Amino acid sequence: MLVHSRKARWALWAVFLVLFLPLFALPLLVVLGASFATHWSGVLPSGPTTANYHAATRGEALQALTTSLVTAVTASLLALTVGTWAALAGAALKKRYRRLLDAVFVLPVAVPSVVVGLSVLVAFSQPPLLLNGTRWIVISAHTVLVTAFAHQSVSAALARLDPAYEQAAASLGARPAYVLLRVRLPLLLPSLTAAAGLCFALSMGELSATMMLYPPDWTPLPVLIYAATDRGALFTGSAVAVVLMAATLLVLFAVSRIRTRASYR
Amino acid sequence: MAEALAEPRTARGGARPRGGGRKPAAAPRSPGALLWALPPVALLALFFLYPLALVVRQSLHPDTGGTSLQPYSDLFASEAFRHALWTTVWLAPAATAGCLVLGFLLSLIIAFVPFPGAKAVARFIDVYLSFPSFLITLALLFIYGTTGIVGSFQFLTTPWGVLLAEVTYFTPFVMRPLLAAFAQLDTAQLEAASSLGARAPRIVRQVILPEALPALAAGGSLVLVLCLNEFGIVLFTGAKGVTTLPMLVYGKAILESDYPGACAVAVVNVLISTGLYGLYRVVSRRAGA
Amino acid sequence: MGIRFDSVTVAYDGNVVLDALDLTVEPGEVMALLGPSGSGKTTALRAVAGFVRPASGRVLLGGEDVTDLPPYRRGIGMVVQSYALFPHLRVDENVAFGLKARRTPRNEVRQRVAEALELTGMAGYARRHPRELSGGQQQRVAIARALAIRPRVLLLDEPLSALDARLRSGMLAELARLHRELPDVSMLYVTHDQVEALTLADRIAVMDKARLQACGTPRELYRSPDNAFTASFVGGANLLPVTVGAGGVDFLGTELKVDTAEAVAGARATLCVRPHLVGLGEGPNRITGTVAEIQWRGATHRLYVETGGHRVMADVRELKEPPLHGEPVTLHFASEDAVLLPAGVSHG
Repeated sequence: MLVHSRKARWALWAVFLVLFLPLFALPLLVVLGASFATHWSGVLPSGPTTANYHAATRGEALQALTTSLVTAVTASLLALTVGTWAALAGAALKKRYRRLLDAVFVLPVAVPSVVVGLSVLVAFSQPPLLLNGTRWIVISAHTVLVTAFAHQSVSAALARLDPAYEQAAASLGARPAYVLLRVRLPLLLPSLTAAAGLCFALSMGELSATMMLYPPDWTPLPVLIYAATDRGALFTGSAVAVVLMAATLLVLFAVSRIRTRASYR
Repeated sequence: MAEALAEPRTARGGARPRGGGRKPAAAPRSPGALLWALPPVALLALFFLYPLALVVRQSLHPDTGGTSLQPYSDLFASEAFRHALWTTVWLAPAATAGCLVLGFLLSLIIAFVPFPGAKAVARFIDVYLSFPSFLITLALLFIYGTTGIVGSFQFLTTPWGVLLAEVTYFTPFVMRPLLAAFAQLDTAQLEAASSLGARAPRIVRQVILPEALPALAAGGSLVLVLCLNEFGIVLFTGAKGVTTLPMLVYGKAILESDYPGACAVAVVNVLISTGLYGLYRVVSRRAGA
Repeated sequence: MGIRFDSVTVAYDGNVVLDALDLTVEPGEVMALLGPSGSGKTTALRAVAGFVRPASGRVLLGGEDVTDLPPYRRGIGMVVQSYALFPHLRVDENVAFGLKARRTPRNEVRQRVAEALELTGMAGYARRHPRELSGGQQQRVAIARALAIRPRVLLLDEPLSALDARLRSGMLAELARLHRELPDVSMLYVTHDQVEALTLADRIAVMDKARLQACGTPRELYRSPDNAFTASFVGGANLLPVTVGAGGVDFLGTELKVDTAEAVAGARATLCVRPHLVGLGEGPNRITGTVAEIQWRGATHRLYVETGGHRVMADVRELKEPPLHGEPVTLHFASEDAVLLPAGVSHG
């Protein structure tokens, strides 16, 4: 323990609460409170109602939720496949090539998402690959953005994997493909599910690239939230935002359940 | 977001077989290894590198035709661009500095002056990272907006509102690697220091801070890049007064349909961000080694 | 199937970690590679398994050159210090792993898994996961897994160092029993523990500084080591710098009678005497000095006696009245208990 005096400890905890609550807990509480209100002109929201959720769970909003879920699941699975493949291929490369591969795959993090959106828009509004106006342009951009994260986390997990396991498998006569399927991938499973959850959450909340790309019939939740707040419907927007958070958390929770099972097997 | 990147590098290479006292030599590489790396690289090239190259090309081809640096000279001549560049360039470091100070302080309390529920707070931070950034601005709209708690104060439409939102959203990105680094810090070191008579501030300065530097460097540079690229927070303020480079790209491309102009801004933005991100990779590798 | 190292050299980044090793393990023999850490012993084992590629030289298994074969085509059983049991597989699945990788028919897999678990006394744990087992049990599973593929060569890399002292001696007896039950399997046993090597091995190869220092039966190495490193590493020894005279040697002006048949008069040499063969009190070959340190070790006392800048160790039966610090004492040893070694850099 760093601080021994009881008084100093309480003082520090008070500082923590004063900083932590308003900065981090309050915004979430405000959005949650607003989603159940019609007015907010005092300290507390007023006009309690569930009408916002009525609007946020059907019609346009329901469609947006489906759109977001489909986009996020597709993009995560694609990103996980490509990222894992790249990480596995990279692990077998010489150091020089591996560095290069890592650098290329991490680049989408450094490039602003808006620019990724713009570039995908520019590239796929013209032949040979005409994706503009389809859902695939949104999914491609999301995949590009989250692949970097999938690759990073799988690479890190691979670097931590004790080579003794694959060597034991090889000494028992298992060929590289068999080692991959029966030893390395199962051992990576916890990290893979963690990466999948990360990719899913990122894609669910993606706004920057999506704003540049979304066709009218493929509007994900963040865009809908922006549209609502832009036209002044802040309370409906909050309800949709709560739906977005809840959907994300629900999927993350399910994924983490799989992860616990995988690591305790 | 970005938890993979925030992972402390010190955690790497933990469990390796002992014996021989040396890192085992890599198994013989198969010559097909490069071939196996080809499919994912090809996909990334098609969906990321090729589009990026097209952006660079388009930035050099104004609507009037031909190849020229016209879009760039127009850009640097325009007041709006210089303003956006300046806003981006001061806002990001300021937000990063705020995140570092706040994140270090809060992590320190969670890790070393633990209170009941400190674990739950750490979990909350993980959850917090999985929410999109614009939620913060949405909340601030209620607190500081025209109809909100604090009232008609036009705080959110100033850069200070954006700064507050960015510090709020990105501080957990600093705390996560810091908490991981603190968890690895040997408590015996702290006990030794305090048994030698060092007081808390001295221990923080001489024992904890040096250990936390790699994590601070890594988290800080990541936040810097993410702030440079942040779009959602700025978009949701609806402020005309605060324009950053990503906002300008969006505005030019979608609102004005000026693609060469948007591409030129994008190129400038990419150069700044990748430059800083490259620096971050070098620094964190150094610090982790 | 025997193992042969034919001038095997391994280098990492230009650092030679195994220098031109020549060594043959006969079929059915247990060979211990004994040495301190960094001596190259693990590297030698990994070269046999195929995890390090020699910079030069060949590795032969049963007369076949396997230097260029990948690990999975060598048919070797291997047990490492960390066991490396697959945590996601049950005990029986772990043991079946090698058989399934070879597409062994299912009936045979079941039968051989049962056999291997029976042999290692783990038959009752087939449905458990590795994390539910103790260290010693995990070790047995690792051995069962290596034996299930019926290897003709078993590589053991410090297999007991993760176990506590009591379990270790039990496992040592188990390994000796396994060796008796599987007389055709050659074993290469890497260890830094001389007790393990002396107990288990048919022959010991002593390694130091990337080189093979000596190779022989435990008895040979213990009774008549050929160099100072071997003498001190195998069993511990007093290594005294002496000058060879006629029918004896001179140690700091004291005449000691030992067999000098193979030494040249006037040459410098090292005299090796095991501490437990040094007695306290008057006798032949006397060395006098003062007690620098005395340790009570239960059944024995270990004396460190200072004489002319050298420390001579003596292990004697527990003393009723042990000498005090700084007290002058006399030590002695029998001529036939001393071995004269060529002078070298003393490692002791």
